[in-house]
Amino acid sequence: MLKYTLRRIIEAIPTVLGVTLLSFVLIHIVPGSPVRILLGNHYTPYRAELLSRTLGLNKPLPVQYFTWLGNLLHGNFGYSYTYDKPVVSLMLQALPHTIIIVVVAVLAAHVFAVFLGSVQAYFENTKFDQIVTVINYFFYSMPTFWLAVLLIIFFSIDLNWFPSGGIVNTQLASPSFGDWAKHLVLPIAALFLVSVAGWARYMRSSMREALLQDYVRTARMKGAKEFRVIFVHALRNSILPLITLLGLSLPALLSGALFVEEVFNYPGMGLLYWDAVNSRDYPIIMGITVFVGLVTVIGNLIADLLYGLIDPRIQYT
Amino acid sequence: MSNVLEVQSLHVDFHLHGGYVQAVQDVSFHIKEGETLGLVGESGCGKSVTSLALVRLLSKTARVTGKVLYKGRDLLQVSGPELRRVRGGEVSMIFQEPMTSLNPVYKIGAQISEALRLHDKVSPRAAFARSLEMLRKVGIARPEEIMHAYPHQLSGGMRQRVMIAIAMVCSPSLLIADEPTTALDVTIQAQILELMKMLSQDFGTSVLLITHDLGVVAETCDRVAVMYAGNIVEQGNVEDIFASPEHPYTQGLLKAIPKIDSVVKERLQPIEGTVPTPARMPAGCRFAPRCALVQPGCRLERPSLYTVGDEHVARCFLHDRKEVAQ
Repeated sequence: MLKYTLRRIIEAIPTVLGVTLLSFVLIHIVPGSPVRILLGNHYTPYRAELLSRTLGLNKPLPVQYFTWLGNLLHGNFGYSYTYDKPVVSLMLQALPHTIIIVVVAVLAAHVFAVFLGSVQAYFENTKFDQIVTVINYFFYSMPTFWLAVLLIIFFSIDLNWFPSGGIVNTQLASPSFGDWAKHLVLPIAALFLVSVAGWARYMRSSMREALLQDYVRTARMKGAKEFRVIFVHALRNSILPLITLLGLSLPALLSGALFVEEVFNYPGMGLLYWDAVNSRDYPIIMGITVFVGLVTVIGNLIADLLYGLIDPRIQYT
Repeated sequence: MSNVLEVQSLHVDFHLHGGYVQAVQDVSFHIKEGETLGLVGESGCGKSVTSLALVRLLSKTARVTGKVLYKGRDLLQVSGPELRRVRGGEVSMIFQEPMTSLNPVYKIGAQISEALRLHDKVSPRAAFARSLEMLRKVGIARPEEIMHAYPHQLSGGMRQRVMIAIAMVCSPSLLIADEPTTALDVTIQAQILELMKMLSQDFGTSVLLITHDLGVVAETCDRVAVMYAGNIVEQGNVEDIFASPEHPYTQGLLKAIPKIDSVVKERLQPIEGTVPTPARMPAGCRFAPRCALVQPGCRLERPSLYTVGDEHVARCFLHDRKEVAQ
């Protein structure tokens, strides 16, 4: 298994390199230049030329790319144009904020979706199943940003239960833990709701299939309770598709909490990325691209390794 | 000898496309202590449905009526917890498909001891020891190793042995075996049947053996019930049924068995026609459309079971008339 893991990581290197090349090309195709944005009203051709030279943007693109790659190999992600700080420190600042909402939302959504989908499958085509299905589709088809806005309208503006954005109340001298936790509720809720809806659908169909299998009948024949039949016998057989989704959702959520972070003005990776794209801050964009590439590889690897733990028929060679 | 199981006028209907389709109609039989009853019939005659209905393992779309008296208690009426105590503990079942009947993600040892721990308060260690002992009893070589194996590492025959171990580990009073050897090749079939016979004698377990193989019945059963299109058409001791089958269907079945020692090369005599589907049952005797001895009355009225000998009944008007004539 160690050998398998190592091989997978080595195999991932060309993939990540390819991703960096592609995103390097793409951001240079996009119109607009960081120099123009940085200088703003102070723009003169002379100043622009000077800044281009300072940032190294006057060199041919291949040279720029390989310079960046060479620095990366030395662990240097470069300096942000707009913040004038190392990209690594900006990412390290943003990452914990994203991790907390993503990990809490993903784990909670997963556990709840597995439970909900299983129960739905068990009570297939009953009133309960139908009502839950309608609610699921409601959240599944709702754009994340719109859901986030709705949450703000209901829970911040109307009910005034939770703050509408940020991470702490800036007017407090020493923000408490409770204040911080309050700021997390709505972003987590938004991520949770959109994730649960889809995952519960997958779980429902997977569990539905498992409940028809012969070994489920065997479990009942042994005298097992229905709870045990569902959550011990059928669950472990039907959870594999959800593990794949977990692996795939990890990178999407670490970067793509983007909409949620943008709406809630939550200073995580998504917001950092969003601002970087708007100001054409190439080093941040490239840094986050590498990060997402790595998380994708790691997420899929974790999913594949979990597969083997759950299903003994899967062997690693 | 008292009856372990007594089934009285069992009916099973399936809810289908807004209506009900009858799968089993008025099936009654009993099994005495230590006895093996064979339930034979073609595919689709309702024998598997009958066996699953006894322990309420049919899907929610099935409507089961009648009485299934296990040691006097009606299993169709008992509460959920009581039913679960009976299942696996007192009445066990093995299924046709050994390849899919074991849970692929749990070790063999865990699956056997689970059956034990659901019924007896035993420590994991004791459950493991007894499961190991049971594996040895069902004739698995290297049982210590197999305890830690997963189902996919075992052959079909071994898996069916494991299923038997699971079914027998709580020493049940009744074992329902639903075509236990159908999916196995012939040499393994004989071994599995021998094993079941031996274990049921050892444990004093009564057996309901569901099969379509009359050869299997002849070898293992004390009594036999022949099913056709959801009915029992003939029931009696194995010797009587094979020596003098009284229902035209049973006669037809026996004629359709190839004999290896026949001197004259005779053609097998198949039963003409096909089994009626539950949705299109004939009005009268269900076998009438295929029966060589059919009378006009057979198509109008359904025959009941007539006594034709000692513990021997047949559902055919031919025997009704005999009685009248005597």
